[in-house]
Amino acid sequence: MMKLSLKRKIIRIIGLSFTVLSFLMIFTPILVILVLSINASTKGYSWEGFTLKWYLELFQKDVMREPIMNTLVIAFASTIIATVLGTMFAIGINALEKKKRIQMMVINNVPVVNPDIVTGISLMIVFSLLSFTLGYYTVLIAHVFFSIPYVVLSIMPRLKKLDPNLYEAGLDLGCSRISGVFRVILPNISTGIISGALMAFTMSIDDFIITYFTSGAEYMNVSTWLYATLSRGRSFTPAAYAYNIIIFAITIAIILFVNLKRDRKEKTV
Amino acid sequence: MRRLRPYAVPYLLWMGLFILIPTIILIILGFTNLELYNIGVFDITLVNFSIFVQDQVVNALWNSLSYSFVTTLICFVIGYPVAYYLSTLSEKKRKILLAMMIVPLWSNMLLRIIAWEKIFTPTSIIADIFGISLDLLGTPTGVLIGMIAMYLPFMIFPIFSVLEKMDYKLIEAAKDLGASDLQTFVKVTFPLSSGGVVSGVIMTMLPAMTSFVLPARIGLGKINLIGNIIESKFMKEVLGSSGASINQGAIISLLLMVFSVISFVLITRVDKEGETLI
Repeated sequence: MMKLSLKRKIIRIIGLSFTVLSFLMIFTPILVILVLSINASTKGYSWEGFTLKWYLELFQKDVMREPIMNTLVIAFASTIIATVLGTMFAIGINALEKKKRIQMMVINNVPVVNPDIVTGISLMIVFSLLSFTLGYYTVLIAHVFFSIPYVVLSIMPRLKKLDPNLYEAGLDLGCSRISGVFRVILPNISTGIISGALMAFTMSIDDFIITYFTSGAEYMNVSTWLYATLSRGRSFTPAAYAYNIIIFAITIAIILFVNLKRDRKEKTV
Repeated sequence: MRRLRPYAVPYLLWMGLFILIPTIILIILGFTNLELYNIGVFDITLVNFSIFVQDQVVNALWNSLSYSFVTTLICFVIGYPVAYYLSTLSEKKRKILLAMMIVPLWSNMLLRIIAWEKIFTPTSIIADIFGISLDLLGTPTGVLIGMIAMYLPFMIFPIFSVLEKMDYKLIEAAKDLGASDLQTFVKVTFPLSSGGVVSGVIMTMLPAMTSFVLPARIGLGKINLIGNIIESKFMKEVLGSSGASINQGAIISLLLMVFSVISFVLITRVDKEGETLI
Protein backbone atom coordinates (compact mmCIF):
# COMPACT_ATOMS: atom_id res chain seq x y z
CA MET A 1 0.00 0.00 0.00
CA MET A 2 2.82 2.41 0.81
CA LYS A 3 4.39 1.77 -2.57
CA LEU A 4 1.15 2.46 -4.37
CA SER A 5 0.56 5.79 -2.70
CA LEU A 6 4.15 6.81 -3.45
CA LYS A 7 3.59 6.01 -7.12
CA ARG A 8 0.40 8.07 -7.10
CA LYS A 9 2.24 10.91 -5.45
CA ILE A 10 4.85 10.88 -8.19
CA ILE A 11 2.14 10.92 -10.87
CA ARG A 12 0.47 13.85 -9.12
CA ILE A 13 3.76 15.74 -8.94
CA ILE A 14 4.39 15.17 -12.65
CA GLY A 15 0.86 16.39 -13.46
CA LEU A 16 1.28 19.41 -11.24
CA SER A 17 4.70 20.40 -12.60
CA PHE A 18 3.56 20.04 -16.23
CA THR A 19 0.54 22.19 -15.39
CA VAL A 20 2.81 24.86 -13.90
CA LEU A 21 5.06 24.65 -16.98
CA SER A 22 2.04 25.03 -19.31
CA PHE A 23 0.77 28.07 -17.48
CA LEU A 24 4.24 29.57 -17.56
CA MET A 25 4.47 29.11 -21.33
CA ILE A 26 0.97 30.41 -21.96
CA PHE A 27 1.24 33.43 -19.67
CA THR A 28 4.78 34.60 -20.42
CA PRO A 29 3.85 36.50 -23.62
CA ILE A 30 0.86 38.12 -21.91
CA LEU A 31 3.13 39.30 -19.12
CA VAL A 32 5.58 40.74 -21.64
CA ILE A 33 2.74 42.58 -23.41
CA LEU A 34 1.56 43.97 -20.06
CA VAL A 35 5.08 45.12 -19.13
CA LEU A 36 5.62 46.73 -22.55
CA SER A 37 2.32 48.59 -22.26
CA ILE A 38 3.41 50.34 -19.05
CA ASN A 39 7.07 50.83 -19.95
CA ALA A 40 8.26 54.34 -20.75
CA SER A 41 10.64 53.13 -23.45
CA THR A 42 9.43 53.37 -27.07
CA LYS A 43 11.66 50.61 -28.43
CA GLY A 44 10.89 48.21 -25.60
CA TYR A 45 14.38 46.76 -25.15
CA SER A 46 14.79 47.93 -21.58
CA TRP A 47 12.72 49.02 -18.59
CA GLU A 48 12.65 52.78 -18.34
CA GLY A 49 10.07 53.34 -15.67
CA PHE A 50 6.32 53.12 -15.25
CA THR A 51 4.02 55.15 -17.46
CA LEU A 52 0.42 55.21 -18.63
CA LYS A 53 1.13 57.47 -21.58
CA TRP A 54 0.55 54.70 -24.16
CA TYR A 55 -2.96 54.22 -22.82
CA LEU A 56 -3.56 57.95 -23.19
CA GLU A 57 -2.03 58.00 -26.64
CA LEU A 58 -4.59 55.47 -27.73
CA PHE A 59 -7.34 58.04 -27.20
CA GLN A 60 -5.41 61.14 -28.23
CA LYS A 61 -3.46 60.32 -31.35
CA ASP A 62 -4.80 59.09 -34.64
CA VAL A 63 -2.14 56.50 -35.49
CA MET A 64 -4.18 53.48 -34.56
CA ARG A 65 -7.67 54.91 -34.71
CA GLU A 66 -8.60 53.51 -38.09
CA PRO A 67 -7.49 49.89 -37.54
CA ILE A 68 -9.08 49.89 -34.07
CA MET A 69 -12.38 51.23 -35.37
CA ASN A 70 -12.34 48.68 -38.21
CA THR A 71 -11.65 45.84 -35.77
CA LEU A 72 -14.48 46.86 -33.43
CA VAL A 73 -17.04 47.52 -36.18
CA ILE A 74 -16.31 44.16 -37.82
CA ALA A 75 -16.38 42.35 -34.47
CA PHE A 76 -19.76 43.75 -33.42
CA ALA A 77 -21.38 43.47 -36.84
CA SER A 78 -20.13 39.95 -37.56
CA THR A 79 -21.08 38.75 -34.06
CA ILE A 80 -24.65 39.99 -34.42
CA ILE A 81 -25.10 38.56 -37.93
CA ALA A 82 -23.37 35.25 -37.15
CA THR A 83 -25.37 34.77 -33.94
CA VAL A 84 -28.72 35.36 -35.64
CA LEU A 85 -27.90 33.16 -38.64
CA GLY A 86 -26.15 30.50 -36.54
CA THR A 87 -29.12 30.23 -34.18
CA MET A 88 -31.49 29.85 -37.10
CA PHE A 89 -29.31 27.23 -38.78
CA ALA A 90 -28.83 25.31 -35.53
CA ILE A 91 -32.60 25.14 -34.99
CA GLY A 92 -33.03 23.89 -38.55
CA ILE A 93 -30.26 21.30 -38.21
CA ASN A 94 -31.63 20.05 -34.91
CA ALA A 95 -35.04 19.47 -36.52
CA LEU A 96 -33.55 17.17 -39.18
CA GLU A 97 -33.65 13.40 -38.91
CA LYS A 98 -30.58 11.90 -37.28
CA LYS A 99 -28.59 10.94 -40.38
CA LYS A 100 -29.04 14.29 -42.08
CA ARG A 101 -28.35 16.10 -38.84
CA ILE A 102 -24.98 14.40 -38.51
CA GLN A 103 -24.17 15.16 -42.15
CA MET A 104 -24.95 18.83 -41.60
CA MET A 105 -22.81 18.90 -38.45
CA VAL A 106 -19.92 17.38 -40.41
CA ILE A 107 -20.27 20.18 -42.99
CA ASN A 108 -20.55 22.71 -40.16
CA ASN A 109 -17.23 21.54 -38.74
CA VAL A 110 -15.26 21.90 -41.98
CA PRO A 111 -14.23 25.53 -41.31
CA VAL A 112 -13.48 24.67 -37.67
CA VAL A 113 -10.98 21.96 -38.58
CA ASN A 114 -9.66 23.56 -41.78
CA PRO A 115 -6.49 25.60 -41.24
CA ASP A 116 -7.25 29.35 -41.35
CA ILE A 117 -5.01 29.80 -44.35
CA VAL A 118 -7.16 27.39 -46.41
CA THR A 119 -10.35 29.14 -45.31
CA GLY A 120 -8.79 32.52 -46.13
CA ILE A 121 -7.73 31.47 -49.62
CA SER A 122 -11.09 29.82 -50.32
CA LEU A 123 -12.96 33.00 -49.38
CA MET A 124 -10.57 35.12 -51.41
CA ILE A 125 -11.23 32.93 -54.46
CA VAL A 126 -15.01 33.19 -54.10
CA PHE A 127 -14.77 36.98 -53.73
CA SER A 128 -12.63 37.26 -56.83
CA LEU A 129 -15.07 35.05 -58.78
CA LEU A 130 -17.94 37.30 -57.74
CA SER A 131 -15.74 40.33 -58.59
CA PHE A 132 -16.16 41.77 -55.11
CA THR A 133 -13.62 44.45 -54.25
CA LEU A 134 -11.72 43.31 -51.16
CA GLY A 135 -12.44 45.56 -48.20
CA TYR A 136 -15.01 46.10 -45.45
CA TYR A 137 -17.77 43.91 -46.90
CA THR A 138 -15.54 40.97 -47.80
CA VAL A 139 -13.96 40.99 -44.34
CA LEU A 140 -17.42 41.15 -42.77
CA ILE A 141 -18.66 38.17 -44.84
CA ALA A 142 -15.46 36.27 -44.00
CA HIS A 143 -15.88 36.86 -40.25
CA VAL A 144 -19.55 35.85 -40.38
CA PHE A 145 -18.48 32.73 -42.27
CA PHE A 146 -15.91 31.53 -39.74
CA SER A 147 -18.04 32.49 -36.72
CA ILE A 148 -21.28 30.71 -37.61
CA PRO A 149 -19.92 27.16 -37.07
CA TYR A 150 -18.88 28.06 -33.51
CA VAL A 151 -22.30 29.53 -32.78
CA VAL A 152 -23.94 26.34 -34.10
CA LEU A 153 -21.57 24.16 -32.05
CA SER A 154 -22.34 25.98 -28.82
CA ILE A 155 -26.12 25.97 -29.36
CA MET A 156 -26.47 22.32 -30.44
CA PRO A 157 -26.03 20.69 -26.99
CA ARG A 158 -28.77 22.96 -25.57
CA LEU A 159 -31.13 22.15 -28.42
CA LYS A 160 -30.61 18.43 -27.96
CA LYS A 161 -31.69 18.69 -24.33
CA LEU A 162 -34.86 20.50 -25.33
CA ASP A 163 -37.98 18.31 -25.43
CA PRO A 164 -39.37 18.58 -29.00
CA ASN A 165 -42.88 18.13 -27.62
CA LEU A 166 -42.64 21.55 -25.97
CA TYR A 167 -42.52 23.26 -29.35
CA GLU A 168 -45.39 21.13 -30.65
CA ALA A 169 -47.38 22.00 -27.54
CA GLY A 170 -46.72 25.67 -28.22
CA LEU A 171 -48.07 25.27 -31.72
CA ASP A 172 -51.16 23.43 -30.42
CA LEU A 173 -51.77 26.28 -28.02
CA GLY A 174 -51.92 28.70 -30.91
CA CYS A 175 -48.34 29.82 -31.56
CA SER A 176 -47.38 30.34 -35.17
CA ARG A 177 -44.24 28.62 -36.47
CA ILE A 178 -42.17 31.74 -35.83
CA SER A 179 -43.67 32.83 -32.54
CA GLY A 180 -43.18 29.26 -31.33
CA VAL A 181 -39.47 29.65 -31.99
CA PHE A 182 -39.36 32.93 -30.07
CA ARG A 183 -41.53 31.85 -27.15
CA VAL A 184 -40.51 28.23 -26.67
CA ILE A 185 -37.15 27.47 -28.26
CA LEU A 186 -35.10 30.65 -27.84
CA PRO A 187 -35.66 31.09 -24.07
CA ASN A 188 -34.48 27.51 -23.55
CA ILE A 189 -31.27 27.84 -25.54
CA SER A 190 -30.33 31.37 -24.48
CA THR A 191 -27.18 30.33 -22.60
CA GLY A 192 -25.92 28.52 -25.71
CA ILE A 193 -26.65 31.59 -27.84
CA ILE A 194 -24.77 33.87 -25.44
CA SER A 195 -21.70 31.66 -25.28
CA GLY A 196 -21.77 31.29 -29.07
CA ALA A 197 -21.92 35.06 -29.48
CA LEU A 198 -19.03 35.54 -27.04
CA MET A 199 -16.97 33.01 -28.95
CA ALA A 200 -17.74 34.70 -32.27
CA PHE A 201 -16.76 38.08 -30.82
CA THR A 202 -13.46 36.94 -29.33
CA MET A 203 -12.50 35.14 -32.55
CA SER A 204 -13.35 38.11 -34.74
CA ILE A 205 -11.51 40.67 -32.67
CA ASP A 206 -8.22 38.74 -32.79
CA ASP A 207 -8.38 37.30 -36.28
CA PHE A 208 -5.36 37.79 -38.45
CA ILE A 209 -5.00 35.13 -41.16
CA ILE A 210 -8.50 35.17 -42.66
CA THR A 211 -8.68 38.97 -42.55
CA TYR A 212 -5.26 39.14 -44.19
CA PHE A 213 -6.42 37.14 -47.21
CA THR A 214 -9.81 38.84 -47.58
CA SER A 215 -9.11 42.50 -46.84
CA GLY A 216 -7.02 43.70 -49.79
CA ALA A 217 -4.26 46.25 -49.36
CA GLU A 218 -6.32 49.20 -48.08
CA TYR A 219 -8.62 47.92 -45.37
CA MET A 220 -6.87 46.87 -42.15
CA ASN A 221 -7.80 45.61 -38.73
CA VAL A 222 -5.36 45.83 -35.82
CA SER A 223 -3.70 42.50 -36.62
CA THR A 224 -3.15 43.15 -40.32
CA TRP A 225 -2.05 46.71 -39.53
CA LEU A 226 0.59 45.37 -37.11
CA TYR A 227 1.76 42.85 -39.69
CA ALA A 228 1.95 45.45 -42.46
CA THR A 229 3.93 47.82 -40.21
CA LEU A 230 6.40 45.09 -39.27
CA SER A 231 6.71 43.82 -42.85
CA ARG A 232 7.79 47.28 -43.94
CA GLY A 233 10.53 47.07 -41.33
CA ARG A 234 9.02 49.79 -39.18
CA SER A 235 8.25 49.59 -35.49
CA PHE A 236 4.85 50.43 -34.07
CA THR A 237 3.87 52.50 -31.07
CA PRO A 238 3.61 50.69 -27.71
CA ALA A 239 0.01 51.95 -27.70
CA ALA A 240 -0.69 48.67 -29.54
CA TYR A 241 0.20 46.80 -26.33
CA ALA A 242 -2.06 49.13 -24.37
CA TYR A 243 -4.90 48.45 -26.83
CA ASN A 244 -4.41 44.72 -26.39
CA ILE A 245 -4.47 44.95 -22.59
CA ILE A 246 -7.67 47.03 -22.67
CA ILE A 247 -9.47 44.62 -25.03
CA PHE A 248 -8.19 41.73 -22.92
CA ALA A 249 -9.52 43.28 -19.70
CA ILE A 250 -12.90 44.08 -21.26
CA THR A 251 -13.25 40.51 -22.59
CA ILE A 252 -12.46 39.03 -19.18
CA ALA A 253 -14.94 41.38 -17.53
CA ILE A 254 -17.73 40.47 -19.97
CA ILE A 255 -17.14 36.74 -19.65
CA LEU A 256 -16.95 36.92 -15.84
CA PHE A 257 -20.16 38.94 -15.75
CA VAL A 258 -22.01 36.49 -18.01
CA ASN A 259 -20.78 33.48 -16.04
CA LEU A 260 -21.61 34.96 -12.64
CA LYS A 261 -25.07 35.90 -13.85
CA ARG A 262 -25.60 32.41 -15.22
CA ASP A 263 -24.44 30.77 -11.98
CA ARG A 264 -26.82 32.92 -9.97
CA LYS A 265 -29.66 32.12 -12.35
CA GLU A 266 -28.97 28.41 -12.11
CA LYS A 267 -28.90 28.59 -8.31
CA THR A 268 -32.26 30.33 -8.08
CA VAL A 269 -33.98 27.98 -10.53
CA MET B 1 -40.05 20.47 -34.89
CA ARG B 2 -40.19 19.11 -38.44
CA ARG B 3 -41.56 22.37 -39.70
CA LEU B 4 -38.30 24.06 -38.73
CA ARG B 5 -36.25 21.95 -41.13
CA PRO B 6 -36.23 24.59 -43.91
CA TYR B 7 -34.07 26.76 -41.62
CA ALA B 8 -31.12 24.48 -42.38
CA VAL B 9 -31.40 24.79 -46.16
CA PRO B 10 -29.77 28.22 -46.64
CA TYR B 11 -26.86 26.98 -44.54
CA LEU B 12 -26.22 24.16 -46.97
CA LEU B 13 -26.18 26.64 -49.88
CA TRP B 14 -23.93 29.04 -47.97
CA MET B 15 -21.42 26.32 -47.11
CA GLY B 16 -21.52 25.08 -50.71
CA LEU B 17 -20.68 28.56 -51.95
CA PHE B 18 -17.73 29.02 -49.60
CA ILE B 19 -16.36 25.47 -49.33
CA LEU B 20 -17.30 23.42 -52.39
CA ILE B 21 -16.91 26.09 -55.09
CA PRO B 22 -13.46 27.34 -54.00
CA THR B 23 -12.24 23.75 -53.72
CA ILE B 24 -13.30 23.08 -57.32
CA ILE B 25 -11.68 26.34 -58.46
CA LEU B 26 -8.46 25.45 -56.61
CA ILE B 27 -8.37 22.08 -58.39
CA ILE B 28 -8.90 23.78 -61.77
CA LEU B 29 -6.28 26.43 -60.99
CA GLY B 30 -3.77 23.83 -59.90
CA PHE B 31 -4.08 21.64 -62.98
CA THR B 32 -4.48 24.34 -65.65
CA ASN B 33 -3.13 27.72 -66.70
CA LEU B 34 -6.42 29.49 -65.89
CA GLU B 35 -5.92 33.04 -64.63
CA LEU B 36 -8.03 33.77 -61.56
CA TYR B 37 -8.24 37.51 -62.20
CA ASN B 38 -8.78 37.15 -65.94
CA ILE B 39 -10.98 34.12 -66.38
CA GLY B 40 -11.08 32.82 -69.93
CA VAL B 41 -10.04 29.79 -71.93
CA PHE B 42 -7.57 27.48 -70.24
CA ASP B 43 -5.53 24.39 -71.00
CA ILE B 44 -4.92 21.43 -68.77
CA THR B 45 -1.27 21.32 -67.79
CA LEU B 46 1.00 19.83 -65.16
CA VAL B 47 3.45 22.71 -65.39
CA ASN B 48 2.45 24.02 -61.94
CA PHE B 49 3.90 20.89 -60.39
CA SER B 50 7.35 22.19 -61.31
CA ILE B 51 7.38 24.02 -57.96
CA PHE B 52 8.03 20.69 -56.27
CA VAL B 53 11.57 20.66 -57.67
CA GLN B 54 12.33 24.08 -56.18
CA ASP B 55 14.58 23.71 -53.12
CA GLN B 56 12.71 26.45 -51.31
CA VAL B 57 9.38 24.62 -51.64
CA VAL B 58 10.81 21.20 -50.77
CA ASN B 59 12.45 22.71 -47.69
CA ALA B 60 9.22 24.38 -46.66
CA LEU B 61 7.32 21.11 -47.00
CA TRP B 62 9.91 19.27 -44.94
CA ASN B 63 9.91 22.06 -42.33
CA SER B 64 6.12 22.04 -42.11
CA LEU B 65 6.02 18.31 -41.52
CA SER B 66 8.93 18.17 -39.08
CA TYR B 67 8.06 21.29 -37.04
CA SER B 68 4.39 20.39 -36.76
CA PHE B 69 5.27 16.81 -35.81
CA VAL B 70 7.71 17.79 -33.06
CA THR B 71 5.34 20.51 -31.79
CA THR B 72 2.43 18.08 -31.66
CA LEU B 73 4.49 15.39 -29.94
CA ILE B 74 5.76 17.75 -27.23
CA CYS B 75 2.30 19.30 -26.80
CA PHE B 76 0.89 15.79 -26.32
CA VAL B 77 3.58 14.77 -23.82
CA ILE B 78 2.98 17.93 -21.79
CA GLY B 79 -0.73 18.32 -22.53
CA TYR B 80 -2.04 14.87 -21.63
CA PRO B 81 -0.75 14.90 -18.03
CA VAL B 82 -2.05 18.45 -17.65
CA ALA B 83 -5.52 17.51 -18.93
CA TYR B 84 -5.48 14.45 -16.68
CA TYR B 85 -4.35 16.45 -13.67
CA LEU B 86 -6.99 19.13 -14.27
CA SER B 87 -9.72 16.49 -14.56
CA THR B 88 -8.86 15.10 -11.11
CA LEU B 89 -9.32 18.45 -9.34
CA SER B 90 -12.45 19.62 -7.55
CA GLU B 91 -15.03 21.31 -9.75
CA LYS B 92 -14.24 24.77 -8.50
CA LYS B 93 -10.47 24.53 -9.02
CA ARG B 94 -11.02 22.90 -12.37
CA LYS B 95 -13.23 25.73 -13.57
CA ILE B 96 -10.79 28.42 -12.44
CA LEU B 97 -7.71 26.77 -13.95
CA LEU B 98 -9.48 26.05 -17.21
CA ALA B 99 -10.69 29.64 -17.45
CA MET B 100 -7.12 30.80 -16.78
CA MET B 101 -5.95 28.71 -19.68
CA ILE B 102 -8.56 30.11 -22.08
CA VAL B 103 -8.04 33.75 -21.09
CA PRO B 104 -4.61 34.22 -22.77
CA LEU B 105 -6.11 33.17 -26.09
CA TRP B 106 -8.07 36.42 -26.08
CA SER B 107 -4.86 38.31 -26.46
CA ASN B 108 -3.92 39.22 -30.01
CA MET B 109 -1.98 36.39 -31.70
CA LEU B 110 0.35 38.75 -33.52
CA LEU B 111 1.27 40.58 -30.33
CA ARG B 112 1.90 37.28 -28.56
CA ILE B 113 4.32 36.35 -31.34
CA ILE B 114 5.99 39.75 -31.05
CA ALA B 115 6.27 39.17 -27.30
CA TRP B 116 8.19 35.92 -27.93
CA GLU B 117 10.33 37.82 -30.40
CA LYS B 118 11.26 40.21 -27.59
CA ILE B 119 11.90 37.37 -25.15
CA PHE B 120 14.25 35.66 -27.59
CA THR B 121 16.34 38.79 -28.22
CA PRO B 122 19.52 38.90 -26.08
CA THR B 123 19.02 42.55 -25.11
CA SER B 124 15.34 42.24 -24.32
CA ILE B 125 13.13 43.69 -21.65
CA ILE B 126 13.14 40.24 -19.99
CA ALA B 127 16.94 40.38 -19.84
CA ASP B 128 16.69 43.86 -18.36
CA ILE B 129 14.17 42.98 -15.67
CA PHE B 130 14.92 39.34 -14.82
CA GLY B 131 18.48 39.00 -16.03
CA ILE B 132 17.57 36.07 -18.29
CA SER B 133 19.20 36.62 -21.63
CA LEU B 134 18.11 34.38 -24.50
CA ASP B 135 19.34 34.44 -28.06
CA LEU B 136 16.91 32.24 -29.94
CA LEU B 137 15.74 34.37 -32.86
CA GLY B 138 16.23 32.58 -36.15
CA THR B 139 16.82 29.21 -34.46
CA PRO B 140 14.68 26.04 -34.67
CA THR B 141 14.48 25.96 -30.84
CA GLY B 142 12.98 29.45 -30.78
CA VAL B 143 10.38 28.60 -33.41
CA LEU B 144 9.50 25.36 -31.62
CA ILE B 145 9.07 27.02 -28.22
CA GLY B 146 6.89 29.67 -29.82
CA MET B 147 4.74 27.04 -31.53
CA ILE B 148 4.37 24.89 -28.43
CA ALA B 149 3.32 27.88 -26.33
CA MET B 150 0.87 28.97 -29.02
CA TYR B 151 -0.83 25.62 -29.66
CA LEU B 152 -0.56 23.78 -26.31
CA PRO B 153 -4.05 24.84 -25.16
CA PHE B 154 -5.57 23.27 -28.29
CA MET B 155 -4.11 19.93 -27.20
CA ILE B 156 -5.24 20.27 -23.58
CA PHE B 157 -8.88 21.37 -24.14
CA PRO B 158 -10.22 18.40 -26.16
CA ILE B 159 -8.43 15.81 -24.00
CA PHE B 160 -9.69 17.51 -20.86
CA SER B 161 -13.26 17.68 -22.13
CA VAL B 162 -13.29 13.92 -22.77
CA LEU B 163 -11.61 13.03 -19.46
CA GLU B 164 -13.99 15.30 -17.58
CA LYS B 165 -17.05 13.55 -18.98
CA MET B 166 -15.66 10.06 -18.46
CA ASP B 167 -17.67 7.75 -16.25
CA TYR B 168 -15.55 7.29 -13.14
CA LYS B 169 -17.38 4.08 -12.29
CA LEU B 170 -15.58 2.36 -15.18
CA ILE B 171 -12.25 3.02 -13.53
CA GLU B 172 -13.52 1.76 -10.19
CA ALA B 173 -14.87 -1.34 -11.93
CA ALA B 174 -11.47 -2.00 -13.51
CA LYS B 175 -9.82 -1.69 -10.10
CA ASP B 176 -12.39 -3.96 -8.46
CA LEU B 177 -11.64 -6.53 -11.12
CA GLY B 178 -8.01 -6.49 -10.07
CA ALA B 179 -6.36 -4.16 -12.58
CA SER B 180 -3.35 -2.21 -11.39
CA ASP B 181 -3.18 1.58 -11.80
CA LEU B 182 -1.09 1.23 -14.93
CA GLN B 183 -3.37 -1.44 -16.41
CA THR B 184 -6.42 0.67 -15.66
CA PHE B 185 -4.86 3.61 -17.42
CA VAL B 186 -3.65 1.67 -20.47
CA LYS B 187 -6.78 -0.44 -20.90
CA VAL B 188 -9.58 1.85 -19.70
CA THR B 189 -8.73 5.52 -19.24
CA PHE B 190 -6.54 6.10 -22.29
CA PRO B 191 -8.75 4.25 -24.82
CA LEU B 192 -11.76 6.18 -23.53
CA SER B 193 -9.91 9.45 -24.02
CA SER B 194 -8.68 8.60 -27.52
CA GLY B 195 -11.34 10.78 -29.17
CA GLY B 196 -10.00 13.82 -27.34
CA VAL B 197 -6.43 12.85 -28.23
CA VAL B 198 -7.28 12.64 -31.94
CA SER B 199 -9.00 16.04 -31.85
CA GLY B 200 -6.14 17.52 -29.83
CA VAL B 201 -3.47 16.17 -32.19
CA ILE B 202 -5.27 17.55 -35.23
CA MET B 203 -6.13 20.91 -33.67
CA THR B 204 -2.44 21.31 -32.80
CA MET B 205 -0.84 19.84 -35.91
CA LEU B 206 -2.85 21.62 -38.62
CA PRO B 207 -2.36 25.17 -37.31
CA ALA B 208 1.32 24.46 -36.58
CA MET B 209 1.83 23.08 -40.08
CA THR B 210 0.25 26.12 -41.72
CA SER B 211 1.48 28.92 -39.49
CA PHE B 212 3.33 31.63 -41.35
CA VAL B 213 3.65 34.68 -39.12
CA LEU B 214 5.39 32.78 -36.34
CA PRO B 215 8.18 31.29 -38.50
CA ALA B 216 8.52 34.58 -40.35
CA ARG B 217 8.96 36.61 -37.14
CA ILE B 218 10.68 34.27 -34.69
CA GLY B 219 12.54 32.39 -37.45
CA LEU B 220 13.63 35.74 -38.95
CA GLY B 221 12.46 34.42 -42.32
CA LYS B 222 15.20 31.77 -42.30
CA ILE B 223 12.77 28.99 -41.46
CA ASN B 224 9.98 28.81 -44.03
CA LEU B 225 6.88 26.65 -43.78
CA ILE B 226 4.19 25.88 -46.38
CA GLY B 227 2.21 28.86 -45.12
CA ASN B 228 5.06 31.22 -46.06
CA ILE B 229 5.14 29.77 -49.59
CA ILE B 230 1.36 30.08 -49.96
CA GLU B 231 1.51 33.67 -48.76
CA SER B 232 4.22 34.52 -51.28
CA LYS B 233 2.25 32.89 -54.10
CA PHE B 234 -1.14 34.44 -53.37
CA MET B 235 -0.49 37.89 -51.95
CA LYS B 236 0.89 39.62 -55.01
CA GLU B 237 -0.76 42.95 -54.36
CA VAL B 238 0.23 43.03 -50.71
CA LEU B 239 3.80 41.84 -51.01
CA GLY B 240 4.54 42.89 -54.58
CA SER B 241 6.62 39.76 -54.93
CA SER B 242 7.65 38.74 -58.41
CA GLY B 243 7.38 35.02 -57.66
CA ALA B 244 3.65 35.23 -57.09
CA SER B 245 1.67 32.63 -58.98
CA ILE B 246 -1.84 31.75 -57.94
CA ASN B 247 -1.74 28.52 -59.94
CA GLN B 248 1.36 27.32 -58.08
CA GLY B 249 -0.17 28.48 -54.81
CA ALA B 250 -3.28 26.45 -55.67
CA ILE B 251 -1.23 23.25 -55.98
CA ILE B 252 0.28 23.76 -52.52
CA SER B 253 -3.12 24.66 -51.07
CA LEU B 254 -4.54 21.45 -52.50
CA LEU B 255 -1.75 19.53 -50.81
CA LEU B 256 -2.73 21.18 -47.53
CA MET B 257 -6.35 20.29 -48.18
CA VAL B 258 -5.33 16.64 -48.48
CA PHE B 259 -3.94 16.81 -44.92
CA SER B 260 -7.06 18.62 -43.86
CA VAL B 261 -9.38 15.99 -45.36
CA ILE B 262 -7.44 13.13 -43.74
CA SER B 263 -7.67 14.92 -40.39
CA PHE B 264 -11.31 15.57 -40.94
CA VAL B 265 -12.12 11.93 -41.66
CA LEU B 266 -10.26 10.96 -38.46
CA ILE B 267 -12.11 13.51 -36.34
CA THR B 268 -15.46 12.50 -37.81
CA ARG B 269 -14.76 8.90 -36.84
CA VAL B 270 -14.17 9.65 -33.18
CA ASP B 271 -16.52 12.58 -32.78
CA LYS B 272 -19.39 12.75 -35.25
CA GLU B 273 -20.93 16.01 -34.13
CA GLY B 274 -17.83 17.92 -33.20
CA GLU B 275 -18.45 17.95 -29.47
CA THR B 276 -14.72 17.99 -28.69
CA LEU B 277 -14.06 20.90 -31.03
CA ILE B 278 -15.06 23.75 -28.72
